[in-house]
Amino acid sequence: MAYDESALIRRLPHGLTDLFLEQAAAKTAVEGVLQETFRRWGYSRIIPPTFEYYDTLAAGASVQLKQEMYRFFDREGNILALRPDMTVPTARVVSGKLYDRTPPLRCYYVGNVFRHIEPQAGWRREFTQAGIELIGAGTPEADAEVVAVAVAALKAMKVADFQVNLGQVSYLQAILSEAGLGNGELRRLEQAIDRRNDIELQRVLAELGITGDAARAIRAVPHLCGDEGVLCEAERLATNPPARQAIEHLARVYELLCLEGVAEHIILDLGEMRGMAYYTGITFHGYAAGLGFPICGGGRYDNLLANFGADLPAVGFALGVERILLVTHPEIDLAPHLVMRSCSHPACRALAAQTRARGSCVEVDVLGRQGEALVAYARALGAHYVVCCGEGPTYTLTDLRSSEPGCRRVLNRHELEQELALWSS
Amino acid sequence: MEQLTIALPKGRLQHQTLELFAVVGYPVSDEAASGRKLIFEDLSGALRFILAKPADVPTYVGYGAADLGIVGEDVLREGHRDLYEPLGLGIGRCRLVLAGPPEARSRDLRPEIGLRVASKYPRLALEHFEARGITAEIIPLSGSIELAPAVGLADLLVDLVETGRTLRDNGLVELETIMEVQAILVVNRASHKLHFGVIQELIRRLAVEVARRERPGTLGAEVGG
Repeated sequence: MAYDESALIRRLPHGLTDLFLEQAAAKTAVEGVLQETFRRWGYSRIIPPTFEYYDTLAAGASVQLKQEMYRFFDREGNILALRPDMTVPTARVVSGKLYDRTPPLRCYYVGNVFRHIEPQAGWRREFTQAGIELIGAGTPEADAEVVAVAVAALKAMKVADFQVNLGQVSYLQAILSEAGLGNGELRRLEQAIDRRNDIELQRVLAELGITGDAARAIRAVPHLCGDEGVLCEAERLATNPPARQAIEHLARVYELLCLEGVAEHIILDLGEMRGMAYYTGITFHGYAAGLGFPICGGGRYDNLLANFGADLPAVGFALGVERILLVTHPEIDLAPHLVMRSCSHPACRALAAQTRARGSCVEVDVLGRQGEALVAYARALGAHYVVCCGEGPTYTLTDLRSSEPGCRRVLNRHELEQELALWSS
Repeated sequence: MEQLTIALPKGRLQHQTLELFAVVGYPVSDEAASGRKLIFEDLSGALRFILAKPADVPTYVGYGAADLGIVGEDVLREGHRDLYEPLGLGIGRCRLVLAGPPEARSRDLRPEIGLRVASKYPRLALEHFEARGITAEIIPLSGSIELAPAVGLADLLVDLVETGRTLRDNGLVELETIMEVQAILVVNRASHKLHFGVIQELIRRLAVEVARRERPGTLGAEVGG
């Protein structure tokens, strides 16, 4: 049996994929909608490089994200890495190059990120992240804006049925600050709360010797989930002024989101604990019907930029474009509107140019097909119309999406131009 | 009201779980309870049950193919699905133990370099040994783990025991309890937000029944114990 070497070199590494035809067009469409949404809220694009020093990307990255990074050496022996997210590069750019602009700064990005992960729900080892960062404002107004942009983006992409889970990690951080816990202990508590596992939580609290009001408040946290009633309950349980301030802040964010008219999409959830070591204020995740995984996530991270020398508060969110494509399906029609034969009439070239200028897709066959062969080719493509130029000058227009007898007509130049103008109106 | 899909583990826990759901207001027909159909509804139509292999329940729930699931803590910890675990159901109680021949009791495992441990739970077994600074080669098996020490495939085993009878019958003894296990209600994170009200109500009803059973002196306190 012949050994097929080309099959071997056609392979892709595990966790990567190619996008083409409708899928690629759908991704482009979604990215366009996202960029337009971000632009309309006043965000401008930031384009950092794909790889940079590992030390830069590792500053502020979680332990897990560090492990997932693709690292390599350059020829000078420096350790480089492919960016695993867009937030750290953005923080670096702002800290080093934009720090003296009048705050706040509104940045958005769309770019590929690279993580050594098992592919799951649209996330592969290379996937596209789109998101925003609002830097230099620590106000509830800034928090509410970022959540509102996330909601606006999901709506603009026509994600049918979604909810955003809004939490506030500084509430629990304030309560825990009195307990004087180490990182490992915090991690265990965080995990129990994140899993909403009360048995585990009780066990950890007992082992750590946390009792009284603090234990009561911590055990209640996984249940502080729902509408604004949660806020009163959380305030009642707050054991110190910073915890109360955290709730007041969240209450103000929620109030602003109500004013924005997006409260129907918000669930308050103080058990939302993801990345407590990284976030310093509100956190949120979006969920859509039909997908068991979050479709977007974000929050406030006031300590990240200080790593790069600019002590600025920041809040942002990101979403994975490929994952969004699992819950929204933009209408894509790759078929050309009009197929023409290649001929040497300047008038035909002008016709194609006019039609393209109106925004329609015109394909001129480059393989010399004409007559029935051209019609058959166009039909196979799913095209709307075929124009074959004759002598005279007359044109045969075939409407491939009509089954009526009049679907093929012979028109003069003027009639054809009128017909073409009709399509694009 | 939106219908919720619940993944049940086929086998040991399946009937106890259906009985629990029946008590809190979601009985199923006898035909459905027989387990011949893999998908069935409760009589009210509020819940749809699917019967999955126990180890697959977290996968169904993780992907959101089921909104909720019932799964043993052993299976849950062996996997790494990102789920809510709001309620221990108090059924299917057993222990994950390290076991071996009686002479293993007096053996210091730390200096060993060729220690072999058979288990259906390779991840939990490895974590257990790593945390104790013991180097062990984990041999994953899918059943009849007791066989492994008897024929020299492994020195020790990590397995689930309910009464310890099977171990004794095979001349093995428990060396250490790794974790206490019970059936856990797990919830998909997205479903929890998208069907918040109905899921909260279901959890509340189950929690009331579980608490009632666990009160000492109440009838049926040790279901499945």
